[in-house]
Amino acid sequence: MQRNIGLIIRREYLSRIRKRSFIVMSLLGPLIMAGVIIFAFWSSLEESEDQKILVIDDSYPFFADLEGTSTIALDIQDISLAKAEALLEVSDYTGILYLPEKILANKSAQLIFKKQPSFRVQRQLEERLQQYLEISKLKEFNLTESDYRRLKAPVTISTFQYQGPGQDAERADILPAIVGQIFSILIFFFIFLYSVSVMRGVIEEKTNRIIEVMVSSVRPFQLMMGKIIGVGAVGLTQFLIWIVLTFTIVSIGQTIIIGNKYVAGAEPPGAATEMIQEQMHAENALSLTQISADDNLFNQIRRVNFPLMIGLFLFYFIGGYLLYSALMAAVGSAVDSDTDTQQFVLPVTFPLLLAYFLSFQVFANPGSTMAIWLSIIPFTSPIIMMIRVSYGIPSADLWQVYLSCALLIATFIAAAWVSARVYRTGILMYGKKASLRELLKWITFR
Amino acid sequence: MSILLQAQHIDKHFGDFHVLRDVSIDVQEGSIFGLLGPNGAGKTTLIRTLTRITAPDSGIILFKGQPLTDETRRHFGYLPEERGLYRKMRVWEQAMYLTRLKGLDKAKAIANLNGWFDRFNMQDWRNKRVEELSKGMQQKLQFVITVAHDPEILILDEPFSGFDPVNTEEIKQEILGLKKSGKTIIFSTHNMSSVEELCDDIALIHKGQNILYGATQEVRSSFRQNLYEVIFKGSKVAFANAMGYQFEIDSITETGDKLHALVRSHTDEGSRLLLKAMADHVEVLSFQEKMPSMHDVFIAQVSSPEPSSDPAQDAA
Repeated sequence: MQRNIGLIIRREYLSRIRKRSFIVMSLLGPLIMAGVIIFAFWSSLEESEDQKILVIDDSYPFFADLEGTSTIALDIQDISLAKAEALLEVSDYTGILYLPEKILANKSAQLIFKKQPSFRVQRQLEERLQQYLEISKLKEFNLTESDYRRLKAPVTISTFQYQGPGQDAERADILPAIVGQIFSILIFFFIFLYSVSVMRGVIEEKTNRIIEVMVSSVRPFQLMMGKIIGVGAVGLTQFLIWIVLTFTIVSIGQTIIIGNKYVAGAEPPGAATEMIQEQMHAENALSLTQISADDNLFNQIRRVNFPLMIGLFLFYFIGGYLLYSALMAAVGSAVDSDTDTQQFVLPVTFPLLLAYFLSFQVFANPGSTMAIWLSIIPFTSPIIMMIRVSYGIPSADLWQVYLSCALLIATFIAAAWVSARVYRTGILMYGKKASLRELLKWITFR
Repeated sequence: MSILLQAQHIDKHFGDFHVLRDVSIDVQEGSIFGLLGPNGAGKTTLIRTLTRITAPDSGIILFKGQPLTDETRRHFGYLPEERGLYRKMRVWEQAMYLTRLKGLDKAKAIANLNGWFDRFNMQDWRNKRVEELSKGMQQKLQFVITVAHDPEILILDEPFSGFDPVNTEEIKQEILGLKKSGKTIIFSTHNMSSVEELCDDIALIHKGQNILYGATQEVRSSFRQNLYEVIFKGSKVAFANAMGYQFEIDSITETGDKLHALVRSHTDEGSRLLLKAMADHVEVLSFQEKMPSMHDVFIAQVSSPEPSSDPAQDAA
């Protein structure tokens, strides 16, 4: 009989893996994801297309000492805007930075371009201008630059999770929480897509009328569990393919882009990070503060407890899927066609949808009472607990994780039992639409 | 011959609906057993309890004197009335899958299926998808899947529905062949002529009860109406005069120079007396008792308001 469940799993797995839609999804998914990542990476390098900007300074020579960057060359001239525009037409200038006389009062300038420059170019120019204006003001107040550096007191707050007396508090960062949020979204989609796939599989067996032949050979419970496990394995396979392919494509793409942009020996890989850091510190125009080495993005990523996160991710990924797919198998057995499913699918998936929408609130406030409850209730915990864990759970609250895991397992067993009872009656019922009351009655059938 | 499969006092409810009431049947090893009854009588439910798909509320099914277990499933071949296949699967793959689920190892399943595929000329379409097959081909495949694991007992629910006459005949011959090779077959059908042709024993299920049960020939003769069919040469008047008070002419028709009469006897010793009465008046060409067909028995039993029946079976 053990052998039978193996045969069922094998069929469910192979028949899905061989489908054209599976192959298309397996290739398309990574292509899209990798495309997005590569595009983001590429656009972060994009401005290395050098800019040569003609600066029109109405209050010349106030800005005469304005400096560009390695990729933005500035040519400061005292000519009229109209003349500059005419010049733009015939020269190799990529744009005109117009600094009106009122710039000191209203702090606004204009950038006129031939080809839209990247956002980064715009911000670098803003930064330079701001810095230039600030330094020029120092003279007004008779301050030196070092005075100003001392005057300006940028503060960053690092957050630590209290772990109990005598224990080192654990760093809590936003980045791990983002990783947790991504994980929980993945779990949501996985549960949703593949539990629906289980339901469709059950309906297919019912409408094809193969079911009665099947249950004369195997127990309905074996058939149900074989399907759930087989479909789950398909999901994990797809997931694995996505990760491996996305990673491969991104690596190849990055190498190609970097190869094109940089001569060998240059040090480019920080480009993307640099951009993010730049954004984070855009306010500090003088860049007088450096991000403390401790706080940079890579260190934050390194601090994510990946073994724990991945372990729990797999647990909730699989546990949540098993729970919902068992319920969806029962739904599939109770209806005759896809069109009849609405009435049951909505109530069954409601907690899942609710958890998904509330996950953003939990992300903002992971310690709230709501977050704690949602992370323990098995119907929402696969999505919510991931976010809480990613923030770091104080050791005093670890019992909540254990409880949540135990409840998920127990609920799955209960759901599988109830579903199996509905299932074995439902699969042989045709024609009449079952009501919820009827389903409850089926559970009590012998 | 011994009893292979036995259902004892099977009772089954679906909610408030009493589907089977104390149904008992014995199926002899090597026989063909017909399960008759109108739609909704409970035949399919009875079959599902025999195949262990649903459990009865009370009563027990014995196979070779032992209750059914997971292990006994492999000795059963079941062709349900609502039969289907995985439409996207290829013919051979599907046959292998379903045969192996019955507990056969790979080599044995391949050997058995090749035998049946050869026999039904199915080798050419073994790599087709099921959805590409015609209905008749699908039916053949289903039949092959039912028998490929070499079961001791075959349970066929309406095996002829959906078959054209040629295929019906082919399946009939297969059923007789299986019987010859020692298999036991239970089938349900509405096709009464096939019952007369094939079945050794029958049970008629009506409103969840077994209202008529026994060997096919005995059942038929228990419904004899003392009706005789006479073909003779001579005068109608002379024939009528010969009848006397014990007999009554139901109908009389003329075909060519022969006359064809149906005569009802008011006594049980009809045949002897009737022959004697006729002999002096007309030239009798043929004479036989008209036995009710299973069709007649079925209609008479099912349409009578109170199922009159063999008291031994009327335990409910």
